[in-house]
Amino acid sequence: MKKLLLILGAALCAAANAQEAYVIGVSGAMTGPVASNYAPVVEAMKAYLDHVNGRGGINGKQVRVIVTDDQAQPSRAATNAKQLIAQDKVVMLLNVSLSSTYAPMVAESKRGNVPLYYAGAVCPKETYPPADPLQFCSTAFGANLDSQAALAFIKANAKEPVRLGLAAMAIPIARAEIDYAEGLSRTLGMTPVDKEISPPPAPDYTPFATKLKEANPNWVWSWSPWVAQVRVFEAMRRLGWTGQYVTWAHLNAEEELARIKDGGFYVVGTNAFLEDNLPIHAEIRAVAARAKLEHPVSYLTEGFVAGLVVESVLRNTPWPPTPQKVLSAMNRVKVDLKGLRGGPLEWTKDNHFRTRQYYRVWRWDPQQNRIARAQDWQAIDVRR
Amino acid sequence: MSGYFRTRYAEDSALLDTRPQKIALALFSIVLLVYPFLASVLWLDIANQILLSAVGAVALMLLTGYAGQISLGHAGLLAAGAFTTGILFKEASAPMWITLPASAGVGALLGLVFGLPSLRLRGLYLAVSTLALHFIVIFAGSEYETKRGYSTGIVIDSPIQDGRAWYFVLLAAAALTVLFALNLLRARTGRAWRAIHAREAVAEALGISVPRAKLAAFVVSSTLTALAGSLFAYYRGFVSAEAFSLYLTIQYVAMIIIGGMGSIAGALAGSAFVVLFPYAIDGGMGALGLSDRLSSLVFAVNYSAFGVVMIGFLVFEPEGLIGLWRRVRDWLVLWPFKQRPL
Amino acid sequence: MQIAVNILVLASIYALICCGYVLIYKVSRVLSLAHGELMMLGAYGLYATASLFAGHPLVALAAAVALAATVGAAVYLALMWRMTGESVLAAVLATIALGILLRGAMILAFGTETRHPLGQLGWTNASVALGTARISAVGLALVLSTAAVYGGLALFLRSSRWGIRMRAAGQNPLLAAQRGIGLHGIYALAWALATFTAGIAGMLLACDAGLESTLVIIGLKAFPAALVGGLDSLVGAVLGSLVVATAEVLLIHYVDPLLSDVVPFAVLLAMLVVRPWGFFGSREELDRV
Repeated sequence: MKKLLLILGAALCAAANAQEAYVIGVSGAMTGPVASNYAPVVEAMKAYLDHVNGRGGINGKQVRVIVTDDQAQPSRAATNAKQLIAQDKVVMLLNVSLSSTYAPMVAESKRGNVPLYYAGAVCPKETYPPADPLQFCSTAFGANLDSQAALAFIKANAKEPVRLGLAAMAIPIARAEIDYAEGLSRTLGMTPVDKEISPPPAPDYTPFATKLKEANPNWVWSWSPWVAQVRVFEAMRRLGWTGQYVTWAHLNAEEELARIKDGGFYVVGTNAFLEDNLPIHAEIRAVAARAKLEHPVSYLTEGFVAGLVVESVLRNTPWPPTPQKVLSAMNRVKVDLKGLRGGPLEWTKDNHFRTRQYYRVWRWDPQQNRIARAQDWQAIDVRR
Repeated sequence: MSGYFRTRYAEDSALLDTRPQKIALALFSIVLLVYPFLASVLWLDIANQILLSAVGAVALMLLTGYAGQISLGHAGLLAAGAFTTGILFKEASAPMWITLPASAGVGALLGLVFGLPSLRLRGLYLAVSTLALHFIVIFAGSEYETKRGYSTGIVIDSPIQDGRAWYFVLLAAAALTVLFALNLLRARTGRAWRAIHAREAVAEALGISVPRAKLAAFVVSSTLTALAGSLFAYYRGFVSAEAFSLYLTIQYVAMIIIGGMGSIAGALAGSAFVVLFPYAIDGGMGALGLSDRLSSLVFAVNYSAFGVVMIGFLVFEPEGLIGLWRRVRDWLVLWPFKQRPL
Repeated sequence: MQIAVNILVLASIYALICCGYVLIYKVSRVLSLAHGELMMLGAYGLYATASLFAGHPLVALAAAVALAATVGAAVYLALMWRMTGESVLAAVLATIALGILLRGAMILAFGTETRHPLGQLGWTNASVALGTARISAVGLALVLSTAAVYGGLALFLRSSRWGIRMRAAGQNPLLAAQRGIGLHGIYALAWALATFTAGIAGMLLACDAGLESTLVIIGLKAFPAALVGGLDSLVGAVLGSLVVATAEVLLIHYVDPLLSDVVPFAVLLAMLVVRPWGFFGSREELDRV
């Protein structure tokens, strides 16, 4: 009974406070097995918005971020979304969790007519043009675009005809991407020699690596959660394979490059590395230190991008805010990311992903013993 | 205990005996009917979840609590019901009044498959065979998702959108399930199950067809579970293989253990307990004023606390919440005596 | 040749994990479904001791292994002794609950980020050539330690006094107790040995791949191997692991890598239909109804 009163009381207070602030709600995988990929995003975003509040807020008002934990479970995500929309009356709903939580949150956002912004995991096809009216995405990964960028890099850097190997984890999204890459490689004049799908988790990746190595590829493209990508690579190297391996740069890519120290291991990504040492990186460090965040600073870029986007959107939302006004602001936003990505992030009514996606490629340079850039910002236009 | 004797057949087959019991049930029904108009969105959702899991818990209780057949494949059966609904919806745009019976049919069929090992295996080996079948069902589900391109899950349009409307639908479903279970238990099938659970050899000697009764237990339980899975698909509006993990099975097993094996009321109490548990932990941590930092550990605390509670019930109170209630009731009724005087 | 090496490594992983399942079942007729979590506990133990004894990798290893054994005995003495004599379902559920508790406790203590104990120990996972095939150093360590563990256990159970007592307690607990064998001590020893082997498996796997919470699921994948061989036979565990590993690797190579997730359970089901007590298990009350 007391617990009920406590929660009701807190809800009432929240409702009262909501009058004086921009209220946004986040459902994220804050705890649980996959939290290490998503919690940093939420915490970095929240730290940045607190920092903005400290500097006077947005349009003179504070921003309130309500964070709920869904532990990457779809049922909890649905409950969180219901609560945030109906009880806390948020004007923007954010999802920073596994893709299995997307569908229930989409259902709730449609019901409540509140825009849904994916800030942590892979962008669904509905955010590409022609975009679903309520779904937006700012995360680095882009289905199909990543394969286009990677294969373009391989083609530009291959000194001989490319025999392409492909590797992915047995989750539907990764499999779809690798299937697309397989088809795309043929149109680019490459020969896809083998495609390996490994279940999560496998006790030993050597059998998959054996099969892949036997097909004798000279380049391999892998797009999956980090663990599958890197373990297939390590197993192949142990089998004596000497080719080049291109993979997607997750949050921990910068750290892992330094741990693996292999000159033939490339990561392709859209977020600048810490070692670029831009002014924005100093700002990230300062904000993280003030908020006493416990994650390595190199994990915080994605969250900072989300914070910058939210700030820009809310700045263009006239007071008092409603979900409709936020939606119209989101439909014409252009955010300067201050070097964290290759260019500004731009959303239009038709395109809720971004108008241009910029890619860089890095590798570890064994001679100089540091991370080296293998290719600078290349833009890909995102069209229908 | 109270000196109430059943002297006529009608009294013996009645669900409620005394006046006070009937009044209590009437009051409880009134509370249940009025609840959705008083509750907030969050509490309404929690109540809906409790009602939904009650259906599954009662089904599992029939199988494990009464018939004594251990099954660790519960999540697989829920997934089967949900996926049948999803597949029929996507491929054939089937409305609800087709998908529900279809899910029930698939559940019955799978119940037959899950139940066949029970004719040869017992205890541990039966549990393991149901576990293996669970993995196979989940694998089939995720293959469907991948092959058809629903990488984030199958979205289903539900005919009912309003939380309150769902409450009444789920309340009706749960009430019907409970009535069905109670009736089944008082009939020949239920008595056969109880006999098999107690002493299988004696049951056979009494003329009960043991294979038939065991298969019946599996089929009935699976049908109800698949129906629960189908309702789950409509309620949440989506189906995905990740939602049906082994942990879900463990939660249902915990529901019947914590509630108290061998009692339908136990299934209801257990499902309420398990659904409310994470919210209680959240509330407890909030009330204790733990800092923001510690709140990021809520998941781990949840997990650990759940494990501790389960162990506590297994070790100290094997008869679960119902057993606890009975002990309290006996103490109150018999006070100042500890036992019934001779 | 490479395929044979892969099968050997995978079979060693499964065999090392099964060893624990079999030991506990053989001695106390309890199926411990917390084995995956115990494996992870061993791996985290190595991570902790590696940071503690930085610079002395062998000391860290020894400490971690001793820690694993102690934890096993502690688990028995804290929880499982109460479940002795209770129903089968209750004991299994107690181990499941224990697994949940351990998982939560480990996340509380260590967080969810991936760790690399091998790096902490200061070693690297080099590649060794075996004829035309290659095997990783950790893989070689896995095969050798599995052989050592099984050899040691076989010798222990056959010849040493405590080993004979354990076998006696497994065959007929009541008679053993009346003969003067302290059952609680025997069971505690069995749990300690099982956790010891699980710890070794967990440590080696963590060295190979990195330590994160998905290690637990591998414990469950090894379970069919134990059943196929016979839940109370060590020889059966080796054979079962070989069978399951062979099926998995051959299917990955020649058919479809996706099936490797489901194959152990399909093999298990087939076995349950044909011969429920496995290759070398003892026939229990499993007779046709």
